[in-house]
Amino acid sequence: MTDGPAIVVRDVSFSYGARAEAVISGISLDVRRGERLGILGPNGGGKSTLLRLLLGELEPTAGEIRVLGVTPGEARAAGQIGYVPQRVTAELGFPLSVRQVVEQAVATRVPAWRGIGNAARERVQRSLELVGAAELSEKPIGRLSGGQRQRVLIARAVAAQPAVLLLDEPTVGIDVAGQQRFGSMLETLRTELGLTVVVVSHELATIAATSDRVACLRRTLHFHDAPHGLTPGVLAELFSHDVAVVSGGAHVHACDDTACAHGSGDGDAGGEDAP
Amino acid sequence: MRTIEYLFDPTLAGLFWPGVIAALLVAVMGAVLSPLVVLKRMSFVGQGVSHAAFGGVGLVLFVAALTGVGGWGTGMQALVAVFAVGSGLAIALLSRRGETDAAIGIVLAVCMAVGFTLYRLAAGELRSRGLPPPPGIEDVLFGSVLSVGWADVWATGAVTTVVLGCLWWFRRPMLAWAFDGATAGSLGINGDRMRAVLLVLLSLAVVATMQVAGVVLATAMLVLPGVIGLAVSAKLRTVVVVSLVAALVGVVGGLVASFELGKNGIQTGPAIVLVLAVVFAVVRAVAGRSD
Repeated sequence: MTDGPAIVVRDVSFSYGARAEAVISGISLDVRRGERLGILGPNGGGKSTLLRLLLGELEPTAGEIRVLGVTPGEARAAGQIGYVPQRVTAELGFPLSVRQVVEQAVATRVPAWRGIGNAARERVQRSLELVGAAELSEKPIGRLSGGQRQRVLIARAVAAQPAVLLLDEPTVGIDVAGQQRFGSMLETLRTELGLTVVVVSHELATIAATSDRVACLRRTLHFHDAPHGLTPGVLAELFSHDVAVVSGGAHVHACDDTACAHGSGDGDAGGEDAP
Repeated sequence: MRTIEYLFDPTLAGLFWPGVIAALLVAVMGAVLSPLVVLKRMSFVGQGVSHAAFGGVGLVLFVAALTGVGGWGTGMQALVAVFAVGSGLAIALLSRRGETDAAIGIVLAVCMAVGFTLYRLAAGELRSRGLPPPPGIEDVLFGSVLSVGWADVWATGAVTTVVLGCLWWFRRPMLAWAFDGATAGSLGINGDRMRAVLLVLLSLAVVATMQVAGVVLATAMLVLPGVIGLAVSAKLRTVVVVSLVAALVGVVGGLVASFELGKNGIQTGPAIVLVLAVVFAVVRAVAGRSD
């Protein structure tokens, strides 16, 4: 693992089958360590495909991806990528408590003949506290609300001590207040653990609440720099596209067919327009 | 009481005890495996494997008849186990492509057809060669404790040890994968490997259980205890303990019922499954799901 960007995507394209239309076409992207990147786009725009590429579940048909300097598959195998999928894919009928679910993240790397040590248990407790689910620890996982369940699954991902956390549509079915709490929680995770977070969503409010920088994806990524934050000029540009949302320093606009991305404040929004 | 007579009469004990011990062993093995099978929705997979095993029975009998070996023994059961495990792995492979349902439907029907055809051919071949006939078709389909010998008990003990040992060894990654296969990879777990391990264990358990409950009912012994445990509790340890108790009650109750009502043609396999079904109905009606 190197000291460069957490995630480097270079000229990546992907299609499901040789003759199929490209789902993702020639995108490039750098994600800095400790950054919260939001990827916004319509359903079918390639967001989940991009996440699967970052996870190493899919191989790019062209281009290259590096996560912490290695391939996504290697980073994932090393436990460096935490992932919470779009829908709750867990078998919620499992007779497990919240603590047992989160403990799985540490237990799977402990040899079968050894017990889970105190340090690992403390890490589980810490993860539950960070996501605000400590008081739920003894509850059965199947009896939680959607928002509570989401927090527990994030605690599970975080307890494995990844460097990068990928969240796919994390706030589906959660109300606006819940989405804002979710944004605060991600900020806490970044501050406390130094996590690099990539959030994929089609909801503007979610992206606005959870991201330092926003990229729009609809087959291609399109970036604009906004070195001085949300100036009238940027606002005008934003509103020249269909929609604008402003929250917490992040600004987002809906995608046209080329899709766009905006950074805020620090002037490094990932470079230039994509091809 | 016939049960006492069968088990403690010196002239009969040797005939019944192997079947009883084998039944108790598969009860323990099935009880521990069962919650996982139920929660991973692999009951139908188990059904596919058991029916595939019937195809293996037909094939092994046919080859044994053709080569003049004839009969039926523990060595042949080992070959059936290999066939069943192969079927389980084939199902695992097809499952990766999301074709589990259709694959099992095909495997189940084709293997039953192959099994019946080869069984008939083997029976005819053995008859023409003057060799002992194969085990009765009812015994293969519904099980028979009387056909279990001491060699089978040792083989069942070995399978039980392997299955329980593997479940203990893989308990952590297996549980994490079973809980959420989509995120298992990010915890460093190879989901395909876990699925293959579980299918091999399930296949071994099915083959071992077939002696007692037969091809048709083996899966019930791998499903009902877990369903009963899950109906009682939302805590994993309690679920496994209740599953174990239910499996033992089912086996002991089924054995006693088949011994006591044997003259009326009650076979052990159906008796065990019926007792388990009654336990399940009572548990669902009375206890509901509580902590």
